[in-house]
Amino acid sequence: MTDVAVPAEVVAGHDAHDDGHHTSLGLSNTKLAMWLFLGSECLLFGALISTYLLSTANFIGEVVAGNPTVLATIPEALAEEFAAEGSVSPIFDIPFTSASSFILLMSSLTMVLAHKAISEGNYKNLRIFLATTAALGASFIAGQVYEFTVFFREGITYDGNLFGSAFFTLTGFHGVHVTGGILMLISLLIVSFRGKLQQDRAETVEIVGLYWHFVDIVWVLIFTIVYLIP
Amino acid sequence: MTELAAHTEAHDEHDHHPTEGQYWLVFVALVVLTAIEVAWSFIGLEGVALVAPLIVMMILKFFLVAGAFMHLYFDLKILNGRLFSWAFFGALLLAIGVYFVVFAAFRWEI
Repeated sequence: MTDVAVPAEVVAGHDAHDDGHHTSLGLSNTKLAMWLFLGSECLLFGALISTYLLSTANFIGEVVAGNPTVLATIPEALAEEFAAEGSVSPIFDIPFTSASSFILLMSSLTMVLAHKAISEGNYKNLRIFLATTAALGASFIAGQVYEFTVFFREGITYDGNLFGSAFFTLTGFHGVHVTGGILMLISLLIVSFRGKLQQDRAETVEIVGLYWHFVDIVWVLIFTIVYLIP
Repeated sequence: MTELAAHTEAHDEHDHHPTEGQYWLVFVALVVLTAIEVAWSFIGLEGVALVAPLIVMMILKFFLVAGAFMHLYFDLKILNGRLFSWAFFGALLLAIGVYFVVFAAFRWEI
């Protein structure tokens, strides 16, 4: 076999980033693939948020108009509150959801700090920040389970009416995405403890981070559109 | 530009990711914006006076997370002037436009 001389700079470049920065776009293929995936996720959540807005507007319109079929799907006291406010706001616990939002924003910070730690070869901090991010994500999910339980006890169910279906579908899909992110973080932790997540694989952490921040961004939208705007 | 030069340029841009202090600053800005959002929703305003500032703050938070935490601002600098950056913004504007047109059409029927 003929020996081929490879320039030292190219070899050094490969050592530093062996996951493929040599594309004409300036981004690695794996990172670009994640961006494309997130693009498709935008369409999914765009559709779910639109469905929620339209379904809830329809539901509240029927409640205010006194449609007996729709009123039969929720407790009388709740129907009176909805009709008086002209929105579903009375059922939301804004201080509690604000705390959940804070937890998710905090997890985005710890996620970028995890990426920074591996970029600097600080594996101890990498593990601390990955574990913290996963724990914060789990806290968010625990809060969501609590909220769903409260809704169920209040009489809002998945198959009861348009509002319940749209709300549980939208926030449930988001919760599933957070859970998927937690599994990715735990996988990274395991790989790190096995010594296979070294500085040259920093982009792997960055790509998982992209997914995690996207989930955070979706919550930023859901928090304002679903919870704060009546 | 040779492939090696482009590669070196990409490396230089990657070295300009935010510092730890800047990440903390973005986080504080996000928390402050969220606090203002919640406070605004409790003031008792209605209609556009309530919704417009909330939407503006939501968009600010969106771009803070996407730009700083997701490194979009820095990655787009790498792509600056190339076809992909135009494709990215073009597709984004098209998607937003289509979203509002479809939403308005449904809204019309309600």
